[in-house]
Amino acid sequence: MAATQSFEQAANSNLAADEILHVDNLRKHFGGVKALDGVSFSLRRGEVHALVGENGAGKSTLIKILSGVFPYDSGTVTLDGAPYRPASPRDAKAHGVQVVHQEFNLLNHLSVAENISIEAMPKTRFGLLDSAEMNRRARAALDAIGLRDVDVRSSVQKLGIAYRQLVEIARALQSESRILILDEPTATLTERETERLFDIVGKIKSKGVTVVFVSHHLEEVFGICDRVTVFRSGETIATENIADTKPQDVVRHMVGRELAAEMEQAENHKVGDVALSLRNFRVAQSPHAEGVSLDIRYGEIVGIAGLVGAGRTELLRGIFGAEPIVSGTIERDGVAVQFSGPRDAIASGISFVTEDRKDEGLILDMPIAANVSLASMKRVSTNGFLRPANERKLAEEAGANLRLKYGKITDPVASLSGGNQQKVVLAKWLIRNPKVLILDEPTRGVDVGAKAEIYAILKRLAQDGVALLVVSSEMPELMTLADRVVVLANHQIRGELPRAEFSQEKILKLAYGQENQGGKR
Amino acid sequence: MTTNVTKQDVGPESGLSMRNVIHKAGISVALLGLIIFFSVFTEHFLTPNNITNILTQITINLVLAVGVTFVILIGGIDLSVGSVMAFAAVVAGKAMTLPDIGTFEAIAIAAFAAVIAGTICGFMNGVVSAYWGLPSFIITLGMLNIARGAALHVSNAQTIYSFPAAFNAFGSAMVFGVPLVFVVALCLVFLAWFVLTKTVFGRLLYGIGNNEEAVRLAGHPVFWYKVAAFTICGLTAGVAAIVYMARLNIASPIAGIGFELNAIAAVIIGGTSLSGGRGSVIGTLLGAFIIGVLANGLILLGLNDFMRQMITGVVIIIAVILDYYRAKYAAK
Amino acid sequence: MKFLKMAAIAATSLTLLGSAAHAADDKPVVGLVMKSLANEFFQNMLEGAKAHEAKRGDYELRAVGMQNETDIETQINAVENFITQGVDAIVVAPADSRAMVPPLKRAKEAGIVVVNFDVALDTKAKEENDVELAFVGPDNREGAKMAGDALAKKIGKGGKVVIVEGNPGADNAQQRKLGFDDAVEAGELELLDSRTAHWETEEANTVFSNMLTAHPDIEGVMAANDSMAIGVVKALESAGRTDIQVVGFDNVPAVGPMIKDGRLLATVDQFGQEMAANAIDMALEVVRGGPELEGWVKTPIKLVTAE
Repeated sequence: MAATQSFEQAANSNLAADEILHVDNLRKHFGGVKALDGVSFSLRRGEVHALVGENGAGKSTLIKILSGVFPYDSGTVTLDGAPYRPASPRDAKAHGVQVVHQEFNLLNHLSVAENISIEAMPKTRFGLLDSAEMNRRARAALDAIGLRDVDVRSSVQKLGIAYRQLVEIARALQSESRILILDEPTATLTERETERLFDIVGKIKSKGVTVVFVSHHLEEVFGICDRVTVFRSGETIATENIADTKPQDVVRHMVGRELAAEMEQAENHKVGDVALSLRNFRVAQSPHAEGVSLDIRYGEIVGIAGLVGAGRTELLRGIFGAEPIVSGTIERDGVAVQFSGPRDAIASGISFVTEDRKDEGLILDMPIAANVSLASMKRVSTNGFLRPANERKLAEEAGANLRLKYGKITDPVASLSGGNQQKVVLAKWLIRNPKVLILDEPTRGVDVGAKAEIYAILKRLAQDGVALLVVSSEMPELMTLADRVVVLANHQIRGELPRAEFSQEKILKLAYGQENQGGKR
Repeated sequence: MTTNVTKQDVGPESGLSMRNVIHKAGISVALLGLIIFFSVFTEHFLTPNNITNILTQITINLVLAVGVTFVILIGGIDLSVGSVMAFAAVVAGKAMTLPDIGTFEAIAIAAFAAVIAGTICGFMNGVVSAYWGLPSFIITLGMLNIARGAALHVSNAQTIYSFPAAFNAFGSAMVFGVPLVFVVALCLVFLAWFVLTKTVFGRLLYGIGNNEEAVRLAGHPVFWYKVAAFTICGLTAGVAAIVYMARLNIASPIAGIGFELNAIAAVIIGGTSLSGGRGSVIGTLLGAFIIGVLANGLILLGLNDFMRQMITGVVIIIAVILDYYRAKYAAK
Repeated sequence: MKFLKMAAIAATSLTLLGSAAHAADDKPVVGLVMKSLANEFFQNMLEGAKAHEAKRGDYELRAVGMQNETDIETQINAVENFITQGVDAIVVAPADSRAMVPPLKRAKEAGIVVVNFDVALDTKAKEENDVELAFVGPDNREGAKMAGDALAKKIGKGGKVVIVEGNPGADNAQQRKLGFDDAVEAGELELLDSRTAHWETEEANTVFSNMLTAHPDIEGVMAANDSMAIGVVKALESAGRTDIQVVGFDNVPAVGPMIKDGRLLATVDQFGQEMAANAIDMALEVVRGGPELEGWVKTPIKLVTAE
């Protein structure tokens, strides 16, 4: 893989000699808000350099300064030894600094070629558009990054999101680029598309272009980058060689807390009796009569992996009584139960942290306290009359347990960051002291710091004897959390992996049906 | 623009807290402005008699709007309240004019009949729209026709009259210069306010209006809460029917045509969001006042009917635009 | 009752079976096109017509009503369906005095006797369409003037009055307003204000209360129908004013007690119940070979007071 190569490169590289960009003590204020408060780092020629940090840590501001969108207040930036202070994005481009933004800047109705040449359309002698030349240039630009399968004459609209992004990269690279900045390029990509992007990043790098890679996904950072610089609160905390560091260390830099240690500490816990048992459990969407059979024990975290459409969410909703069941049984503590709705499931000690907190988990306009108490109205009321003081107290306690960051407990939950919103959803269910907690994508849209905190919470719950069932599309998440991972495909269990056998490859193979348990091969 | 402020753009706040206080203040200011304007430019606006008139005149709309507030809060709409009121009125009118019955019994049966008739209509609205998950706009449009037809059928399209004097007296009775019927309406407003803000039921209605699925997944019987909101709306239409009869001493099967739109206007002017989940019944009270003051003041001003209608429309639109900005500023 | 109404609607919908219009015993068929049956006045009129049919027994009545006062399309459809069915006569109370002219012209051309009652068709529209259609009906303007005159007589010259009008744009509302205006002029009254309450009791109550606030010196009120007069009377009761005289129009049952105890000075009876029946009689005369009707055949109107 490209990654192994780059490790060596990073290790062998001669420090100052290869430096293309140097930033020292850079500061930028917006009104009274300090966006950058002492940023220092450097880029080497031909390296892939990751910028990581929680939302608002200053990465985007830095990118905008480097690409000429904002001027900076103080500090120095040198590009190839000369002072660099781009006056405009155009100026930055002239210096060979290109950015591919998260939001695409393509004109959807124009052809790929037109988009690529939009900044400098080739003209014939008569001043007319030279479309042959335009197509030729576009072809060359696409070929340069290995996009041979894209027709330059087709309209951008017809391309998938991944290809649009690659077209943007091609456009950025056709002019003489020295530094290419990719701002969260994988946010909207599937895994295959991401792989393709990484191949291309490798190609770019081999041409001596420096790639700056902004990402929330540490596994990507560790997969393709040579060095990583961590931002926190507008400052650069550290720059490390990827080869010399671990994801936990990077997270520690990002959050400034020893969360990783806490997570590891919670590693060994006792597994108890079977809490929830599914036998031939089949939801309406499932095409298979045999359904799903699965046991979950107290103190255990069972992960469910699978591709989109594998039936993971439906399974969880079915268990919770939110989705009609066609056949099969559920046993709670060895007793057969039937849930006619979420209400029954809740009564039997099950809680469900839903996938989409905005659509299913939270009432955004309502106060934090009201959201926390939503599933526990009895505890904050007498005879149907609300007791606001009790409610606030309950929510404050629950919030403190989860290290929830908020202004006032009566603030609307919409005022919180994604991670804290997710903690409110957790708090809502945790105050019920669930015996079985099922979670659907518990950290989607949550930044790395809060993610680590949520993992720690879930681990602690398992240690306290709660049975957890976690659905996640992020394999590192499952591998961090789960004691065993069950892989689902097309509403069927395709296999199960104990912790010792965890690997992304194995999970993926099961999910794609390449390795049927007792199957064709 | 990205800065290192981690906090997201603060969304609209709760129906129960700050935003609404600011909001209510806004509506009050608009109402106060209207009152000052009419006091300055008309001779009789601020006289005790005229104030009594306004209070009497807004009562029916207020009672209807209180019920409609419940339905709009859960993200529904009720177009049937005017017709349901007429139906409840003729049922009550029939009951009140039953032969060989004592005055008190007649009034009691009639009042009961009105409330029950309204409640049944509301219940049906709720059950049908909630069970099949159908848009309440259409279901209540159907009920608008059903109830109107039923009112005409029951009364054979005849206006019912000659009610007991004691009942008619209730319609014109005064408590310290305030019409008794308005006091009844005010009690209803208070009751609704209490239910919406101080009870689990009210809390969950707001919740349903904001995010029905979240409330359902929290284990609450959303279906019955929705039915209850519509039922309450029908019930208030029944109460409005009693007020109508007491005030006019007739029960007309063609009463209340278009009242639903006035009631909805009062609710929306009062700052309740048409998409549900946000608003308050206190806002509705102020909204009803704005509509009533406007109708009264413009006549005192001597404006002709057509101008009056146009200005009322303009004011409704302005109120909603103001609300938009208030919500925006409140969010900052 | 309702069955008949439904049957009538069903009958008119069966246009394809229109040829079967002539009943087995070959009685002449009269199509009656009414306005809103939600309106007491037309409801009573329809019942009068049905009683009339039963009493005479020598013709078949098919009646169609509308959902509301402005549902012009239903009326036009009804006329067209009657033409298809080949009825002998169409007796119509038009919802719109212009829009109804062309379909009625077609009916006449199809050899159907057409009698227009209640509201007169627009003269100009008739001229433009080059068709002569007789009108059988009361003189609303004259009726309103009678009520207005009674009021003028009671409160005397210089008395201050207001008018509560019907739906703006409705022909009878306009005629009654003109009649009130005539009475104001003839009685040398002073007209303070004139506003619509859309024929409706509650609105009349509200609108009049506000007019009374603006003009506490009102001495008389002319309401264009009795429903609105009831609202005015209630407003006066609430305001504790017994010194203001009210006149209405239509003589609906609900105002009976008010006339008796003087809360309502006068109303006008245009014998609505018989109006349709009279028009049917006239139409049948023509069907039987009588002379064509021409111009305006006025029907009786009567001032109703306590005496």
